[in-house]
Amino acid sequence: MKKVEIFDPAMCCSTGVCGPSVDPDLTRVASAVYSLEQKSFDVTRYNLANDPAAFTDNKEVNQVLHEKGADALPITLLNNEVVKVGNYPTNDELAKWLDVKADELQQKPRVVVPIDFN
Amino acid sequence: MYQPFNPKVNVETPFLFFTGKGGVGKTSVACATAVSLADQGKKVLLVSTDPASNLQDVFEMELTNDPVSIPSVDNLFALNIDPEESARIYREKTVGPYRGKLPDSVVATMEEQLSGACTVEIAAFDEFSHLLSDESILNTYDHVVFDTAPTGHTLRLLELPTAWNGFLEESTHGASCLGPLSGLGDKKRAYAEAVLSLSDQEKTTLVLVSRPDQSSLIEANRASSELRDIGIQNQMLIVNGLLQTYQPDDEVSTAFYMRQRNALKVMPDELKEVETFTLPYVSYALTGIGNLRQWVSDDPLLESALNESSIDIEKIQLPKLNSIIDDFSSKGTRVIFTMGKGGVGKTSIASAIAVGLSEKGHKVHLTTTDPAANLAYMFHDDGTVKENLSISSINPTEEVEKYKQVVLSKVGKEQNEEGLAYLKEDLESPCTEEIAMFQAFAEVVERSDDEIVVIDTAPTGHTLLLLDSTEAYHKEMSRSKGEVPTSVKKLLPRLRNPKETGVVIVTLAEATPVLEASRLQEDLKRAQIVPTWWVINQSLYATGTTDSVLQGRAVSEKQWIRKVNEELSHQCALIPWMHEEKIGYNNLKEMINA
Repeated sequence: MKKVEIFDPAMCCSTGVCGPSVDPDLTRVASAVYSLEQKSFDVTRYNLANDPAAFTDNKEVNQVLHEKGADALPITLLNNEVVKVGNYPTNDELAKWLDVKADELQQKPRVVVPIDFN
Repeated sequence: MYQPFNPKVNVETPFLFFTGKGGVGKTSVACATAVSLADQGKKVLLVSTDPASNLQDVFEMELTNDPVSIPSVDNLFALNIDPEESARIYREKTVGPYRGKLPDSVVATMEEQLSGACTVEIAAFDEFSHLLSDESILNTYDHVVFDTAPTGHTLRLLELPTAWNGFLEESTHGASCLGPLSGLGDKKRAYAEAVLSLSDQEKTTLVLVSRPDQSSLIEANRASSELRDIGIQNQMLIVNGLLQTYQPDDEVSTAFYMRQRNALKVMPDELKEVETFTLPYVSYALTGIGNLRQWVSDDPLLESALNESSIDIEKIQLPKLNSIIDDFSSKGTRVIFTMGKGGVGKTSIASAIAVGLSEKGHKVHLTTTDPAANLAYMFHDDGTVKENLSISSINPTEEVEKYKQVVLSKVGKEQNEEGLAYLKEDLESPCTEEIAMFQAFAEVVERSDDEIVVIDTAPTGHTLLLLDSTEAYHKEMSRSKGEVPTSVKKLLPRLRNPKETGVVIVTLAEATPVLEASRLQEDLKRAQIVPTWWVINQSLYATGTTDSVLQGRAVSEKQWIRKVNEELSHQCALIPWMHEEKIGYNNLKEMINA
């Protein structure tokens, strides 16, 4: 299965509501990641403030950080390859990578109830 | 009236928490209680978590993070936890291993994120909960006396269900401000036990300490109801520093006595339900074990043997409030902040500065964020709100609500139910309040294009730094979204510009308020904001009272006046203690030249 990893800058909360203003991009990402997790996709976020080890342990991320510094964050990896630096992936990008419909990333997950007609 | 506080009979539980705002004498009351209990043969551990604690001065010895025996008092042990130091250690533990491994710029952003108020609060609570939940502590000591209780906010934070479950399931979404908690995630059980001990009436008494003045009684009431809401029911109130008698021929003494008695009469009704005791106003300093013993004994000896040499006649000459007003008026300052801890009289100072500037013909807008300070009330008496002076108030609760609504309406639509629940939890964080207030400030400061804006209370250094780093971040990313409102973008450069902005730090001539104000000054320096003036308010020293009790206190103010004047401030004004609360335009005018 494909794996997406997002390496966030050091932040207080991953929804972004506690910055000096609401960053709709952060809330969108939080929501998209949440939806993907609900669908059992392998999506992980690492916050630099809480989980710095992830940033040193990952060779690709570490290299980008050493080349570009803190401004390179957020960094997104798809199957261990850097696919996005300095910006969050859009819903379309996430959808393309993981092969889901983009609008599913902001919808309430539906539970399919099997109906047995017999 | 009220019974004098007597630790020998009034203390029933093993844990005692002393709480109250800065400068009310928490440390003195806690120390005196601990000494008195130890004198009865009880084994006592005294714990301070106040970074400005003068516990070391009281016992005249160095204290550490571990209990040490106090040689001069049998059975008494003390430890001093500095939450800022704990937070620093925690931060270093988190960040340290990555120095050299991650680029400096990356390490710097980590440090900044862990420098917030939340980290300090959590670090302090971590120390608390260890002492509260460790069985061996209760087996070793009969009483554990805490100088400073955890805030309701910390306790609520720990109760947020999603936060904890998030960590336990290693979900990637933790609620806000729990960043610092994540390193402590394995302590959930200890925290839960600590919270349980706090709400157990057999185990814990919450002692609210207050001065006999309106603002500190209001604050005690707020703490009381906040902590009652989260289950800490067993409370008592100690009114500290009640003047027992007065000298009718001394105006200051008479007025001082009357103001205290009147404040008690109008104490909030809810607080009247709490069992109340008093401790007397004494002329001697509450340091040294002898003095503390005396203070809570059956005969507190109100007057000290002040010998002639201790009242030296040399006066410290300092400017009055009018010098500050002249300074701002001539420099053309557009934005003026009064900052400082609660209860030091910021609102009066801000109001008087506003009145003074409007008297000089400037157009002035005055605003406050202090929920206890009703500006309409400050100016109600004679209806002389002048044409060129307008007032408003920023209500924190309303601002937070407004901010939450904006966030939820902006991003809530796209969320499903659970997503929304997450978001709402994030919005319960203390950051939200800081941010909401900050935006409100920014809006009001915008007015300074047309008039001088005087703001009572200020955004904290932490918020300013947060804004600064985020603004830089936005710039680097060259994001065009421009989500930071223009008013906020313009705010920081404006606050940093001493030509536009004047910051006035208000304090009292006492240890705790001065030390806290000096930390505030440091915090502001980190955000590159340098206070223009300090004001020492409500000085008994400046009144020249001859009351035998009050004079002792006036003498002890001198060292703090010197410290502010010589070490902490560029410019410093001294304002005498006033016979009455200055209400109304004309009374405020009087204050300017007092």
